[in-house]
Formats: sequence, C-alpha cells, structure tokens
Amino acid sequence: MTADPNAATQAFPPRPPARPRDSPARYLVPALVAAAVAVGLGVYGKVHDPAGTAFNLAGFSSTGAVKTWLATAAFFFALVQVVSAFMVYGKLPGPSWASTLHRWSGRIAFLLAVPVAVHCLYAFGYQTYSTRVMWHSLLGCAFFGAFSAKMLLLRSERLPGWLLPLVGGLVFTALTLLWLTSALWFFRTFGVTT
Amino acid sequence: MKRPGPLLTLLAGLLLGLFMLTLNATSGTKTASSTYREKSPSVSTSPSSTPKSKPTPTPSPTPSKTPVANANYAGRTDDDAASVAVSVRDGKAVAYFCDGRYKEAWLRGPVNDDGSMKLTAPNGAVLDGRIEQGRKIHGTVKDEGRKYAFTADKAVKPSGLWRATAKVRGAKIDGGWIVLPNGRQTGIVTRDGKATAAPRIDPETGAVTVDGQQLTAQPVTP
Repeated sequence: MTADPNAATQAFPPRPPARPRDSPARYLVPALVAAAVAVGLGVYGKVHDPAGTAFNLAGFSSTGAVKTWLATAAFFFALVQVVSAFMVYGKLPGPSWASTLHRWSGRIAFLLAVPVAVHCLYAFGYQTYSTRVMWHSLLGCAFFGAFSAKMLLLRSERLPGWLLPLVGGLVFTALTLLWLTSALWFFRTFGVTT
Repeated sequence: MKRPGPLLTLLAGLLLGLFMLTLNATSGTKTASSTYREKSPSVSTSPSSTPKSKPTPTPSPTPSKTPVANANYAGRTDDDAASVAVSVRDGKAVAYFCDGRYKEAWLRGPVNDDGSMKLTAPNGAVLDGRIEQGRKIHGTVKDEGRKYAFTADKAVKPSGLWRATAKVRGAKIDGGWIVLPNGRQTGIVTRDGKATAAPRIDPETGAVTVDGQQLTAQPVTP
C-alpha cells in the first residue's frame, strides 16, 4: 500500500457538519420575516383609514371589553408559556408533557391575540397620540414580528442554546407590555367589566 | 427543517387574521355604503332635502349667501383624541364633543349669519367655530382647561349626532354618539352622572343595547 499524498486531507471527515452550520439564512430568514411582519403591520395600521368599528361578541358591552378579555386570556397562556418553558429546559420540575403544554399554550395564546390585533389595526390603526398608545402600537407590531421569528427559529436545529429563550423572552415581554398598556388600562379606566 | 408545527401555527394565525379582516371589511362596507346612498334621500331631515323646504330662502345651499344652511357636521379633533359633531338648524346649533371614554360636552348656541358660532355647555366647555362655505366647520373646543382644534366635515345621515336617554333599572341613562362619515363611532353613556364608553349604535336605525335594555338613539337637532 503506497501512501496516498492526499491522505491527510482525506482524513478529514467528509464534511461532517454537512448541515449548513454557518448558513446565515437560518438567522437571516427569521430576522427578515420578523422585520417584514412588524413593519408590514405598522404600515398597514398607518396607511389604512381606521374604521373605528369591528365585530362584537354577544354578552360583552363593547369591543373594548371583548378585546380586553381575549388579551387577558392570551396573557394567562403566556404565563403558562414561561412556566412550561422553564420545565422544558429542566429549570423547574415538570411533567413529561411539559413541551406539549408549552406548544399548545403558545398556540392558544397566539390565536387569542390575533383577533385583538386585527381589531386594533382595522379599527384604530397605528396611533401615536399618547405615550401609552404609541408604545402599544409599536409593541403590537413588534410582538407579531418576534413571534414569527420564534416560530421560524423553532424549525432550525442546533441553534445556540440561548437563542430560543432570548426570542421567547422577547415575545413574552412584548405581550406583557401590550397587556399592561391596553387591558390593564381598560380595567383601570372602565372597571373590571365584561 | 422538519417540524411543521410552528409553520402551521403561523399559518393558522394568518388565516384567522385574514378571516376576521374580511368579516370586518364586508360588514363594515355594507353598513357604510348602503346606509349612505339609500338612506339619505328618504330622510326628511337630511341636509340635501332641507334646502327644498320653505324656511331657507335659496333653493341650493349656495355658500355664504344664505344666512346658514341647515346641515350636520362631524369630525375629529386635530390630535385625534375626540370627535366633534355639530347640528345646525334655523340659525341654532347643538354640538357634541366626546372622546369616547369619559370626556363629553353638549354645547348649544346661535349661529351668526357669517357662519361663526360660539356654543357653550353647562359644564363650562366652549366651542368656537365657523362654517366654511357650507362644507366644513373649523374651530376649537375648550374643555376642562384644554383647547382642542377640530375640523368637522359636512355629514350625511347616518353620520352625525345621535342621542338616547332612558331609565334602565332606576338608573338614568344618557348616551351620546358621533358617527363619522367613515363609519367610526365615538360615544359615551352616562349612568346617573357616571360616564363610560358607549356600545355601538346601529347607524341605520339608531338601535343600541345599553345594560341589556334596547334603546333607540335619535338624530339630534337644536
């Protein structure tokens, strides 16, 4: 057996990380989608002439009350999200179905938030006439952008360990601030009514 | 790229959002367009038909020649914090200033021949305004020490000024609504002097449910 002059190079595993370890698309695509979603919602809210009207549900006094309770339910599921995330990462003792709980509470929270956002954007649009409203508009757009990024990142494997908790934390923070600037304001202004 | 779950979640949210948007858009345009075109000719108090009635000297509301044409005006304050609607009839005006939350004022007063007006409310609020060429009112509302500039465009029923008063379970209910030409509503219901945001009225009929009681709001005239 003669030594192949190229043996040294062949000794390298044949591209062992065949997966695109450094492919920037894994981060770039979620980031760009997030930006597109957030900016798109904001532009729609700004350009669209606020209709001031939208659906109402039976049993509620106003669309404001409907939105407040939907948002409060979403916020509740967001709290479940944080707890179940700690369980998934083993920081808290949790049941084996913690990840299922995390997935489904997240889905429910997101789907509860969607009608609220649709009403906000359709009826009110992107507004900046007070500090509360400005932050709410900004964070509302950012929330759906960050959530899109989180969902897309979930589809990638071998992410840096800190990335998902960070983005998840951003999503949760945004939702919390959204709730504080809208539902809590509603409860304080109008009382806890349905 | 294996897990379809997150994508399905996003897709479900997108579909739900689009579904609600179409629901809003279809129901919104239905009320906006149909009420607009069909209602206005049939209503006797609508501004387009009033010039035909005898009290107005000229047949058409030719700007600034006639003393003041009867009309309704509705619009927003410049800072978009509140709505203002003015109803002008026979040289008198009633106006409603309302932020849809807790601030409201009913203002009344005469309209001068040049279209200027100074309307006052029992709570001290003052509206200074002027009808410009019979098409819009520019002015200010001073309420609780703050001054709000506003522009109110001529509004055709169902947009304009609505009011409903009733007694529901012993409580005195007083509701006021401003419906803007784009269908946007701003309203306040006062229960025994305590103001809260009002439920929406049906702009076609004025029907509204307050505390479970079906009321009918009426267009307001001075």
